[in-house]
Amino acid sequence: MDVNFRKIDIDQYDEDVLNEEELYEPDRRDPSQVLNDTKAKSAAVRSALSKGDTVGALSTVLDQAPYGPNVEEAKNLNLQTLVSILNTTKATEIPGIVKALSTDAQDTLMKYLYKGMALPGWGDVSGSVLLGWHEKLTEAAGVGCIVRAMTDRRTV
Amino acid sequence: MILLEAHNHIIQTTLAEKVVKPTSLDVQFVDFDGVRFRLSTQERKTALLLSMSIRCWDELVKYGVHDVLKREYGSMLQPQPEAEYNVTLLVDLEQIPPEGEERDAAIKSISLLKRNALAAPFELAFQTQKQLEAAGSGQGELMAMHYRDEEAIYIQASPDRVTVIFSTIFREETDRIFGKVFLQEFVDARRLPTIQSAPQVLYTTREPPLEIRHLPGLKDSEDVGYVTFVLFPRHFTHPTVAASTISHIQLFRDYLHYHIKCSKAYMHSRMRYRVSEFQKVLNRAKTEVAVTDRKTASGRSMIR
Amino acid sequence: MSNVLRPYLAAVRSTLTAALTLEDFSSQVVERHNKPEVEVGVSKEVLLNPLTISRNENERVLIEPSINSIRLSIKIKQADEIERILCHKFTRFMMQRAESFIVLRRKPVKGYDISFLITNNHTDTMLKHKIVDFIIQFMEEVDKEISEMKLSLNARARVVAESYLAAFNS
Repeated sequence: MDVNFRKIDIDQYDEDVLNEEELYEPDRRDPSQVLNDTKAKSAAVRSALSKGDTVGALSTVLDQAPYGPNVEEAKNLNLQTLVSILNTTKATEIPGIVKALSTDAQDTLMKYLYKGMALPGWGDVSGSVLLGWHEKLTEAAGVGCIVRAMTDRRTV
Repeated sequence: MILLEAHNHIIQTTLAEKVVKPTSLDVQFVDFDGVRFRLSTQERKTALLLSMSIRCWDELVKYGVHDVLKREYGSMLQPQPEAEYNVTLLVDLEQIPPEGEERDAAIKSISLLKRNALAAPFELAFQTQKQLEAAGSGQGELMAMHYRDEEAIYIQASPDRVTVIFSTIFREETDRIFGKVFLQEFVDARRLPTIQSAPQVLYTTREPPLEIRHLPGLKDSEDVGYVTFVLFPRHFTHPTVAASTISHIQLFRDYLHYHIKCSKAYMHSRMRYRVSEFQKVLNRAKTEVAVTDRKTASGRSMIR
Repeated sequence: MSNVLRPYLAAVRSTLTAALTLEDFSSQVVERHNKPEVEVGVSKEVLLNPLTISRNENERVLIEPSINSIRLSIKIKQADEIERILCHKFTRFMMQRAESFIVLRRKPVKGYDISFLITNNHTDTMLKHKIVDFIIQFMEEVDKEISEMKLSLNARARVVAESYLAAFNS
């Protein structure tokens, strides 16, 4: 008996099937525009950092972070920008900075911390720096922040 | 017990027992490296036959095992060994000296049968070294004893030293890695001032040492290890020192593997303990289920 | 607890606490099935973002949450061949006893050394913070145990080698 029919993916004919894209609101911006925005942010962050305004720099980079498909380049750039901020911040200043961030920015920061730790190659990301930030952020924002990073489908 | 003994414990205890109270018997037993023994009585209870089968007998014959055994056991050595065995000794219990040190020595000597058989090539090598030293140059014959299926001892005499090479197989990865740790310690241990005079030890894995590289049929795989001992005249010039060196070095392979097994057993017991500790921690997480004593109508407790 | 390890374990603890919010959930795909969704992996809407916590490339924890179960995989530090084999032996030993460890998975997730699968049944019958304690204590002690085993192996090897070679002196 021909059993090949068993291998047909019948879900593609099912109109109720749930697709990845339907799980969250897509980014309305065009991928190229996202990239340009990110580049602009990166420049803004650098100037903010040179002025010593870490909170401002973090808020900028965490605002409207790129998410969803097709924007890999912008995601990486944003992560790099963020990591440069994290690396230059003194450990003693971290608690004050994370408290000053808005809730949304805290959630996005948490997502980035996990993303940084999941990266296979590391590069210029140091585990202990990320873990230090993670600890302070959890103290300031609570476990709920982790839950939101876990449940938010808009992965950075 | 850190060091292994060269004699066979079963022979020793059985003989000591039978000397006192002879009975008929027929026992078969084994020793290291697949050596088989049979201890039996044939015509009378006081005439014990001790036979030994050893894997590399043919090679030992080449290196003069007959002479060595003749010297050690004299008339006890039977001209014709039992079927399936390589060598047979006839021990007449009536001839054993009376109780005391002498008897113990006689019994001990018989229980050293395997050690004495394997000693032949070593003794030959020590003699060859003397001759070469006198001659000032040359190399002794490379003597090989395939004492296990895939493992061998190689002995070669040179004018100033005798080289003993063991090839050994580590059957599984754990043995291989543990073996490496042990062998490295053998190499390092000589740095200690107290054992400076011990023979030099070298080891390689996979790559055979120069002396035996030309031999055909060497197994080429990751799990083979080669250990080289370099014996200098100080280890065998004096006869008693030579005897203890021989007994000692023969058992190297068994010693190494014995301790690898011991380490594994120790690791296992540690893991058992640690895992049971983890188990206790996890059990603390379980919530208590309240057990209420339920009674039947007549007042007895109900058992389900 | 050593100071270097503390932030790492703290991060695992808080993430695990956050992830252990499980509820009973029957399969939406197969009638009368109630399986850990993280293992089944067919309904995207009940799987959450997997999170990684790492100290360095050789030491990390992957937490894969879902609605009724989480899977936690640990990669244990292995500096050399000896530690690798000891770690392998130890995790194997534990996983063979998985039935008494309830939350232990019989096979590790690919790329990790040991995995735990915690379902809503476990959080119902056991105290959540104690499960977290167990995982943290396991992570703390497994490193210690492996390095102790390695030390004892080396110590034994030394004694063995020395007593063998010393016997040549007599």
